[in-house]
Amino acid sequence: MTPVKEITLTIDGRQVTVPAGTTIFDAARMNGIPIPTLCHQQNETPVGVCRVCVVDVGSRVYTAACIREAENNMVVKTNTDPVQASRKTLVELLMSDHPAPCARQQHSGDCELETMAKNFAISTPRFAKRLTPSHQKDESSLSIMVDHSACILCDRCIRGCSEIRNNFVIARQGKGYAAAISFDTDDPMGSSSCVSCGECMVSCPTGALTNKHVVGQELGLAGGTSVEAQELLALPVFKGVSGTFLELNKGAVVKRHFKKGEIICREGDYGSTAFYVLEGKVDIFINSPRAHVDTEGSEQGFLSKLASKLKPRKEHQREEENTQRKYIHIDAPVDLEYDHPVAQLQAGDLFGEMTCMSFYPRSATVRAAEDTVCLEMLRNVLDVLQKNKTFRAKLEQNYRTRALETHLKSVPIFASLTQDFIDRLRDRVELQRFTPGQVICRQGDPADSFYLVRIGFIKVSEHHPGGELVLSYLARGNYFGEIGLLSAEGLRTATCTALDHVEVVKILGEDFREMLERFPDVRASLQAVAQERTDENRARIHNLQNVPVDDFLRQGLMDAQSLLVLDLDRCTRCDQCVKACADAHDGITRLIRDGLRFDNFLVATSCRQCRDPLCMVGCPVGSIRRRNSLEVIIEDWCVGCGLCANNCPYGNINLHEFPAPQGSVGVKATVRKATSCNLCYDHPEPSCVYACPHDAAHRVNPPEFFGEMLSGKKVEPVPFSMAPGMMDRR
Amino acid sequence: MLYFPLRLRKEPVRLQFCMCFGAASKGTPVAIPGTSLAPQGPSAHNTDGIFEDLKAIQREYGYLPTDKLQAIADARGMHVREVFTVASFYPHFHLTAPARVDVRVCSDMSCHLRGAGLLKQELQTRLSNQGPDNCSIREISCLGRCDGAPALLISTKNEEQIYDSINGERAADIVVRKLAGEPLPHTRPERIRTEIHSDPYIGTQKYGVLREFVKSRDFTGVVAQLKASGLRGMGGAGFPTGTKWEAVRNCAGDEKYVVCNADESEPGTIKDRFIMQHLPHLLVEGMILAGLVTGAKSGVLYIRHEYEHPAEACQDEIDSCYRENLLGSNILGSGLHFDLKIFISPGGYICGEETALIEAIEGKRSEPRNKPPFPVFQGLWHKPTALNNVETFALATVILARGVDWFKSYGRNGTAGVKFVGISGDVRNPGVFEVPMGISYDELINGLAGGPLPGKTIKAFAPSGPSSGYLPASMLNLPLDWDVMAKPPVNSMVGSGAIVVCSEDACMLDMALNAVKFYRNESCGKCVPCRVGSQKMVDMLTAWTQGKQNSSDLQVLDELSHTMMLTSICGLGQIVPAPIQSVLHHFRDEVDAHVKQGRCPAGVCSVGGRA
Repeated sequence: MTPVKEITLTIDGRQVTVPAGTTIFDAARMNGIPIPTLCHQQNETPVGVCRVCVVDVGSRVYTAACIREAENNMVVKTNTDPVQASRKTLVELLMSDHPAPCARQQHSGDCELETMAKNFAISTPRFAKRLTPSHQKDESSLSIMVDHSACILCDRCIRGCSEIRNNFVIARQGKGYAAAISFDTDDPMGSSSCVSCGECMVSCPTGALTNKHVVGQELGLAGGTSVEAQELLALPVFKGVSGTFLELNKGAVVKRHFKKGEIICREGDYGSTAFYVLEGKVDIFINSPRAHVDTEGSEQGFLSKLASKLKPRKEHQREEENTQRKYIHIDAPVDLEYDHPVAQLQAGDLFGEMTCMSFYPRSATVRAAEDTVCLEMLRNVLDVLQKNKTFRAKLEQNYRTRALETHLKSVPIFASLTQDFIDRLRDRVELQRFTPGQVICRQGDPADSFYLVRIGFIKVSEHHPGGELVLSYLARGNYFGEIGLLSAEGLRTATCTALDHVEVVKILGEDFREMLERFPDVRASLQAVAQERTDENRARIHNLQNVPVDDFLRQGLMDAQSLLVLDLDRCTRCDQCVKACADAHDGITRLIRDGLRFDNFLVATSCRQCRDPLCMVGCPVGSIRRRNSLEVIIEDWCVGCGLCANNCPYGNINLHEFPAPQGSVGVKATVRKATSCNLCYDHPEPSCVYACPHDAAHRVNPPEFFGEMLSGKKVEPVPFSMAPGMMDRR
Repeated sequence: MLYFPLRLRKEPVRLQFCMCFGAASKGTPVAIPGTSLAPQGPSAHNTDGIFEDLKAIQREYGYLPTDKLQAIADARGMHVREVFTVASFYPHFHLTAPARVDVRVCSDMSCHLRGAGLLKQELQTRLSNQGPDNCSIREISCLGRCDGAPALLISTKNEEQIYDSINGERAADIVVRKLAGEPLPHTRPERIRTEIHSDPYIGTQKYGVLREFVKSRDFTGVVAQLKASGLRGMGGAGFPTGTKWEAVRNCAGDEKYVVCNADESEPGTIKDRFIMQHLPHLLVEGMILAGLVTGAKSGVLYIRHEYEHPAEACQDEIDSCYRENLLGSNILGSGLHFDLKIFISPGGYICGEETALIEAIEGKRSEPRNKPPFPVFQGLWHKPTALNNVETFALATVILARGVDWFKSYGRNGTAGVKFVGISGDVRNPGVFEVPMGISYDELINGLAGGPLPGKTIKAFAPSGPSSGYLPASMLNLPLDWDVMAKPPVNSMVGSGAIVVCSEDACMLDMALNAVKFYRNESCGKCVPCRVGSQKMVDMLTAWTQGKQNSSDLQVLDELSHTMMLTSICGLGQIVPAPIQSVLHHFRDEVDAHVKQGRCPAGVCSVGGRA
């Protein structure tokens, strides 16, 4: 072994001896002489960028102690007045742009820059403040808060991310005063390849990267036991998660024990947590009666007393549809059969992801089938877990082995796929996650795969010279990407954007094509659906192009497909329409004679059957949807959570209590169900229109009705049955 | 439907040299799916040649789409952030689609003095009806056409041209024609306007020193002659060249490099452009000699991308050397090897800092390294590197060809040597001149450069761009002498000989602000004093030009100046305070007129209601 070469130098008048290769910073520290610094940390390669550690070694300029190696006979002065003055100016420069007190200072009082400023007695920096910050706050990550204005570009996070964690997400971008840290290609942190390991926020000296304080972070510990970071890290699924992160987020995950038969969560309840089953088994089921609100009346006289009540599907078959739903999609790795909506989950399963990530109401009731232990977690913990490679792999494995098959079979179009083909797909599908606002595929890009929606809601839209037109919203059970793959051009015809936390199952183009080849009936149905979607879109655009928009669009009327309008020249405010509606719907009106005015027409508050039906976004069980005709209907398995009523921007959906039908599984005497105008689909025309004694109420198709009016041609409202676009109803 | 696929005709890569996006650089691009680029062999470094990849993408799409950055990363085995961090550093790479025609008016020193501000305003008026998608008008840092001020750069997706001595009418016409589909008109190389005394090869066979050297192999003799001549680095720092070459020669190991810094980007500096255009053989011979003396097998000529014609001239010279076996393996049968290639800079003044330049060659962000270690010991790819300026290599050839005595006797007034200087600003005959050291600035400005513009007088001059600060006309009789200029009471420098002349129409506070803005714009942002300090200095001086000065400002400026000079990593940050300090020293009255009397004596600044 060669003896270590030693270096002797003088620091602040003291002769010290250190091994060759030691930096001045370390040589001083080892001899009890502290040198202040912002950018240097013992566990990271020195970069010498903050310059606070400069020392005088007798050269023309000072040198950064953190990166300069000690040399023999070097004379180092770490604490002269000019050196201290320079350090103070550097700190003052940084403080002039610093949002004091920054997030770190506010939460834990340990912002290193602010502490240093205090030590240098800098109260108000004498330099001008930054006028226009190049970057603002980035709150896209669920566990880490980014405030670029507090960033001093010390590069500590960059080194933490790369050298320590080997994640390679953070780097500098831009140059000069506009330089900033960025994630991947300057993506929001939440949609970058960041795995939320937390190393950057641990490394950060200021409030630029801090632990995000999630609403309701401290889970009530009632019935649960707090879990130490050590215990969690010992679980296979937490392998690789940052211990610091878990320490900082103590309380965001608790362990809960459930006795056999105990309810873990109830459908329709609001929540913000997900559950991971550690031990035991749970039953997951839908408790609400699978029945819909129905109004009975005679064809002869609508004035006769009508009654609404809940009717199960068996007794009252609704108008036949293209596809009969056999499964109910819920927020768990399984789908429930319509006729027997019960399934079982076991250790290693995760449920409540949508509730946790996007705060949707619970989609199903979960009850312990035996004594069960679960981890209940908030979304920052779930997010970190889902980005964790080990956990991800396990989730994917669960999906492939257990859920893919039912998922595929729950989509009627794929019902005929054979077992061997599903087995082939098993190893080839990929689960992909998207954050709110992230584009999944873009109009005009080459189409390379087909997607099934597993979690979340997706907006499908097209770009037009005037802006964006929403074509539809997709939820679990829906699929997209087939039009591009089936078309000759092979290009995406629309843009699909994640509305919330979305997870899709990606099926590669080649597998998709093989499926079409092997299963001609799948091809036929897919082609039919694709054609239908394409035609529908074309018709919409045609309508749009024929109408002068401006005002019309602004009122949201263009989005509507069907409006109830009252001609104010004729209307005597007799409220017969409202009464008729109430009569038709068990005494509860779905129509309020008030709303927007357009010229001499009042657009009454009743379902407009929007093109862009916001009410459908978020339904935890997918029970509100649009029929192939026009109306928005609420399906039998509505759990009465009321989200759609909240979502409707026009206040046109109401919740009503109904007596529970006999023989239903429910325990309550009444059940809540959402209702909206159904255009009185089982009557020749809507009751309100029929009832108006003054011929003032009309159901119209807005683009055509207002279109002609806007283009200067004064039109008489056409009778409902003749209204364009309404013909297919008959 | 409404989607129009954008299929753009793929043009073959131009064989001739296209300045910014030329094919002259022989980096090692990696094949990128979806582009026309072919791989050119493996490299030990995954960032090597990355700018060629980025340029290829930009040529094809007009900017760098994110997925293409990902493709580069995948092809090179890098993380996408490593590609993005590099691409976002260089303003010449667009991260979003730019206007169809991008006009950028040079805003620094000489162009500023010669009406760049008015030119920009005029263009904005003339082209206001084109719309932002078609045409954008912005400022840009010094384009190296100081003798043809004002200059501007017009770029489109795959074309780029610099026009100097231009007016608003002609520039607007070029833009309108381009938008109508015509190509950008080409420019011609500059002409010689000075007598060349130093070139030893007028009328004789070139590369005489090299031919002699491969026979004699007198390595130590070359070093000794250079030392004896007193030749120093001509980029401004002035390190003895012989000592540098000797140090690299003495380094152990086989892998060494010779790098020529032809990235002169400091306002007023145009001499290297002239040497490369007209005396490329002196430069190339100097680099080959440096390679043979130091033991480096490979050389890189790093040229700023705005120098289209000089780079073509150098490429022609290199090609002819390969043909004559003056470059390559077994040079003239001697068994000695040296390869030389041109590297086109991705752009930015900071690339002229030696370690930042090395970082750029390595395909990284052009940020200076902490020194030591110096490039002599750890330069390109962390190997020993002899890095010199264009003029240094050229003068080395001159000294070795004509002898130390000739070189020493060429100077005047007790100084030695020959120097190339660029004179620009408010003079009648701006240009590059070959002059003996020791000549006075009065002779240079009033003699060679024809004196002030008609009817004007000279108020001030900068001996070497913004870095030297401004000196009053009363100091014109100073000689071009390294020591005299650097020592008190002058406290300036000969530097790179970028002489910029200001007439009485210039406001010296405004000129100081202009210089600090240049440094602010060109700061790489790596270290705090330069990144934040240069901006705060701009803020303060801007307030002064508006007549606003806090009572503590002079004290704060003093503290800031000291901090920047003492703690910045590289020379850029260290020199930022020079212009304003010199103006406060020599033109204090003018500054006070702004902040105490609320008037700008030259009528340039907005204080006192003047525009």
